[in-house]
Amino acid sequence: MSTPTETETPSETETEGGTQLSYETRDRLYHLALYGSAALFSAVILFPIYWMIQNAFTDSQTVITEFSWLPSPETVTLDNFGVLAAGAVPRYVINTIVVTAGTIAVVVGISLVAGYGMARFRFRYKESFAQFLLLGYMFSPIVLGLPLYLIWSEIGLLNAQIGLVIALSSISMPFAVWLMWKYIQTIPESMEESAWIAGASRWRTFWDVVVPQTKPAIVACALFAFAIAWNDFTFAQILLPSQESTTFAPGIMRLIDQGGYTSWGDIMAVSLLMTVPPLLFAYFLQEYLLKGFEVRTR
Amino acid sequence: MASETVESTATTDRRSVRGRLGLDGEALRGWATVAPVILLYLFVAVTPVAFAIYASLFEVPLLNPNWTFTGLSNYVEVLTMNSFWSSLWLGALFMIGSTVVQLLVGLWIALVLNQLDRGQRFLTAVAFTAYLVPTVIVVLVALFMFDVEVGVLHIAGSTLGLWGERTFALGDQTWAMPLVVLVGSWKFSIFVTIFTLAQLRAIPDRFYEAAKICGASRWEMFRDITLPRITGVLLIAVLLRAVFMFNKFDIIWMLTEGGPAGATTTLPILAYRTAFLHNDYGVANAMAVVMFVFLAIGAYCYFRAFDPTAEVNT
Repeated sequence: MSTPTETETPSETETEGGTQLSYETRDRLYHLALYGSAALFSAVILFPIYWMIQNAFTDSQTVITEFSWLPSPETVTLDNFGVLAAGAVPRYVINTIVVTAGTIAVVVGISLVAGYGMARFRFRYKESFAQFLLLGYMFSPIVLGLPLYLIWSEIGLLNAQIGLVIALSSISMPFAVWLMWKYIQTIPESMEESAWIAGASRWRTFWDVVVPQTKPAIVACALFAFAIAWNDFTFAQILLPSQESTTFAPGIMRLIDQGGYTSWGDIMAVSLLMTVPPLLFAYFLQEYLLKGFEVRTR
Repeated sequence: MASETVESTATTDRRSVRGRLGLDGEALRGWATVAPVILLYLFVAVTPVAFAIYASLFEVPLLNPNWTFTGLSNYVEVLTMNSFWSSLWLGALFMIGSTVVQLLVGLWIALVLNQLDRGQRFLTAVAFTAYLVPTVIVVLVALFMFDVEVGVLHIAGSTLGLWGERTFALGDQTWAMPLVVLVGSWKFSIFVTIFTLAQLRAIPDRFYEAAKICGASRWEMFRDITLPRITGVLLIAVLLRAVFMFNKFDIIWMLTEGGPAGATTTLPILAYRTAFLHNDYGVANAMAVVMFVFLAIGAYCYFRAFDPTAEVNT
């Protein structure tokens, strides 16, 4: 929607009262405020990211002794990324990747089937079920995590990454199932019907006809599950207490707490690496994300 | 919506029981497709809440398998604890502060993004970036930027005279809470933006064109066209933000662990401390139940404000 610019005809100024600023002045002020705002919020958002990147590539001794706004050629180095080759950090990163991949697989698989069932089968209490699902949106990791700690330790899921995957998947469910359901409703049923007439089974039709058409919804669900799992601290902190199995967030916080581990250069380097995947997704998949939220909020 | 055909008066035979539940072959397959979701929910949402209510009636030392039934005394203990009321107050402060900041900033960013003629796509990506940076990274960068030795924001603040040169701002009694709110809002304001932006883009251009022909000013267009159309979604965003922030654990714990001297100990932090640092699992579960009651109230309001069945029929 582009309201301004085209209407800057001088005749419009005459309709304004004499005490007011002319249309052009106000229009210019408006644009100044608009682009000023854009510049301000971009700066506030981008500066911490810039600061992280700059220090990730700065010699770790320089990071804690000197202060400079810009990187200087003498101190630029890749040494900080060596943190990924040794110590406990690589294990945390791998654990996070494993948990995230598991969560995405579980969420996409379960929500595809459930969304298909809700869109294509008629059964009673479907609406009540949908409301019940939305209730899950209100559960918070800390409220569920405290009781889960003892339950998981009873059944041996404490310190098991599959336990964390189950917990994270279930808090991603309301969004994922609703999105799939809404999305599959928009796919015409006639293609499936023609596949049935050609003799395909229900399962085969689902797999070969429906699934390929739900790609945008799958991407949106996968992104959502990714964000939940990649972001998680609370569940991992409570459900993976051992240093061996834990993910990046609790792992690095415990390192900092215990040993006063403050090589800021190293921390910024690994922070940068953990930020890159979400950044890539944000840029390349923003239309999918918006589409997902549109389905959700309408 | 389901087939009402077998709503018979016969009561005892099997067929009518199945009929009342609408369990024909199609419905069975329908339920089968959602069974995994139901199982997950039972496992991870319903059981823990039930378990928390159960465990809150016992005295549970975490490292000791012997539970002692104490009835409601955990609740009495919670409700007479000074730290409970102070953390409830701090939690309310954190929730209201965060929600207000996030609503204003998020709405502002959405309106600006929606009005831009150039660079809209790029700046939208920039805004989304903040939401996608993992919480732990936000915290690590914040800890670095407030570091007493080399933190850029620490230096900026002490130069402006906000805090002393040797004061760790996040460990300062007066600054800890506002800074935790601001650091959280850096990330979560964009949640409001995403909600609002989708709705803003759905407003047809012709409304604004018609208003312009009638000589409406920008403010009038905002007040009479834009605002009524986003009020609903803003209410939902505010409600969700408030509920999420009231239950926020991760960012506060990572930034301050509830300190200094309890200055940022909200209810989730207190519950965590009680369970794992004071080994009083029963009392912690009583707190979890109290938080769950707050959540349920939030959920109820959410359902009133945002009727999901209206969506089902679209």
